[in-house]
Amino acid sequence: MAYIGAEVMISPLGETTEENWLALCENRSGISLVPDAGFDKEGLYLSKIPGLTGPARFRGLLTRALKQISEKIDPAILPSARTIVLISSTKGELDGNIADQFGEPAAALITEFHLAHQPIIVSNACISGVLAINAAANFINAKIYDHVIVIGCDLISDFVVYGFQSLFAISDQPCMPFDAARKGISMGEGCAAVVVSSDREIYKDQPLRLFSGASANDANHISGPSRTGEGLVRSTKKTMNNNGITASEIDFICAHGTATLYNDEMESIAFDRLNLTHIPLNSLKGYFGHTLGAAGVIETSVCMQMIRQGMLLKSLGFREKGTSKELNIVSANKPAQINTILKTASGFGGGNAALIIRKI
Amino acid sequence: MDTLKEDLKKQIIEQLNLEDITPSDIQDDSALFDDAGLGLDSIDALELIVLLEKYHGIQVTNPDEGKEAFKSVQTMADYIRKRKGDL
Amino acid sequence: MSFITTYCHLTKDYCSVNGTIAGRRDPESADSWFKQIYKEKEFVYPKFYKMDILSQAGFLASELIKRANPELVTRYKDDEVAMLFGNDNSSAETDVRFRKSYQENGAPSPSLFVYTLPNIVMGEIAIINKWYGENMFAVLPKFVSGFFVDYAQILLATGSKAVLCGWLGIKDKSTEVFLFLIEKQAAVGIPSNADNLSALAGNTSFTTD
Repeated sequence: MAYIGAEVMISPLGETTEENWLALCENRSGISLVPDAGFDKEGLYLSKIPGLTGPARFRGLLTRALKQISEKIDPAILPSARTIVLISSTKGELDGNIADQFGEPAAALITEFHLAHQPIIVSNACISGVLAINAAANFINAKIYDHVIVIGCDLISDFVVYGFQSLFAISDQPCMPFDAARKGISMGEGCAAVVVSSDREIYKDQPLRLFSGASANDANHISGPSRTGEGLVRSTKKTMNNNGITASEIDFICAHGTATLYNDEMESIAFDRLNLTHIPLNSLKGYFGHTLGAAGVIETSVCMQMIRQGMLLKSLGFREKGTSKELNIVSANKPAQINTILKTASGFGGGNAALIIRKI
Repeated sequence: MDTLKEDLKKQIIEQLNLEDITPSDIQDDSALFDDAGLGLDSIDALELIVLLEKYHGIQVTNPDEGKEAFKSVQTMADYIRKRKGDL
Repeated sequence: MSFITTYCHLTKDYCSVNGTIAGRRDPESADSWFKQIYKEKEFVYPKFYKMDILSQAGFLASELIKRANPELVTRYKDDEVAMLFGNDNSSAETDVRFRKSYQENGAPSPSLFVYTLPNIVMGEIAIINKWYGENMFAVLPKFVSGFFVDYAQILLATGSKAVLCGWLGIKDKSTEVFLFLIEKQAAVGIPSNADNLSALAGNTSFTTD
């Protein structure tokens, strides 16, 4: 059995989990207009961390997150031979060393925190974060490690901004997931970390239960969402079946919701096929933008906070129904008793992944 | 011979890395995005937008506009002439 | 118990299947080495030409494994074949090409950008084979047999019946591609453990008979 806890978030909304939660409760967004950010020097709406510049930004964020983590768990865990660090990211320290985007930051973590094992980078596009947390649970359940620290981190760079511009995927307004007027994504940057463990005693605050989920490929297209939501349906179904969890037990769905026309439509079709459209749902992209490889860890951390604080967060940017299948989108913050959350992600390469967390 | 159309065929092959296809394999009015034609996909369509800007100085800001223009080499040539005010 | 049943190496000068050489690079050819293999083995999948180098490597090696082990495509349900790939430099080769497109060639290229993620190769293989199974791509400083054996075992214990694993070490000057199939049940094959896998991975002294 796997526990998950000690969530840490560093984003434009704050340096700590507490600051982030406060901003989320106020429905503040990290997205703002950044001048000259586009390929033609046009302004773009981005969710950028203020003051985060210069070389080694990626390493800096990983280090800050791991430091915060170390204060939330038994200090013997970090250097333990029974502990491994997984880093979920797509582009790592690309601006510093495009030829080797992860080698130096990973080596720096080993030295600074006396890690016993080489960190593993999980790089599966936008599902990296959810996949890495699932990998952590798998390692625990197979007893290969007793503790796994998952850090999700990705940065905004010209590289990713120009790339998504070339796909005409960036919205000219702050992104509006699932809304009728949505026009695409807003890019974001951020870092989050969680500790997955077989031992609930290592956490200073009460952990939650983590049910390891499944991933599934759409086998359809490398960059376009499936029209049928096949992979999302399969990964969600397997995640529920493998853990013996039924729809009636799920209190909330934290969807992927990138705010592109086709992604959000695909998700609505998938949730309809799964008979889950009545369950309250949100996308957190309106707060953080799309943080790519970090998204799954950031959003799972927010889900953990939602359970702890007993609050459903508004799906920021949503105003009116914009998908062919109607979803139960949270339109305002609402206090609620939340026990079980389903988190999903979908991404380039046809990947889809899901996981479930539950209050103990 | 319409040199614009011949140029376009070469540029399409170059921009899209269409190995084993020569300009003579592409008919002026054969459908670029049909499997019976060149079988291009949505990413290729975006690459054609890059082509228009790179070789012809034409900016396409709405990809839907490209859809009409990219039906065939003929429609692409017509579109370029229209945008340049030759028609 | 699970078994390594089929494997394929692509290096700078050779390709081999199950340790037996299957092709040698012609240094006189105008075609890239991967294109030479594609033509020589008479593969027909025009999308190959549009793929980046990681996906080309994954395509060739997985197709060669299928030819050597045709049951891979008939024996399993569409979600029973998982993929577990890795390398030490993510999609760096393609990343450099994409950066060049906007720094030197005038505009960011969308068809290059979509390949600037290392997991895309698994998407391509999933599309060809209609495989809806689990996928994971890991970046590690070097090939670690233990990681592949352990995680493949996890996948085999959670619903997958075969795991196509791959190390895609492709750099400017070197090519170290190693794909191998681990199956839960097999008539032939060697037991999947770190020692056996290391022995196969290091098998660069190809036999020529």
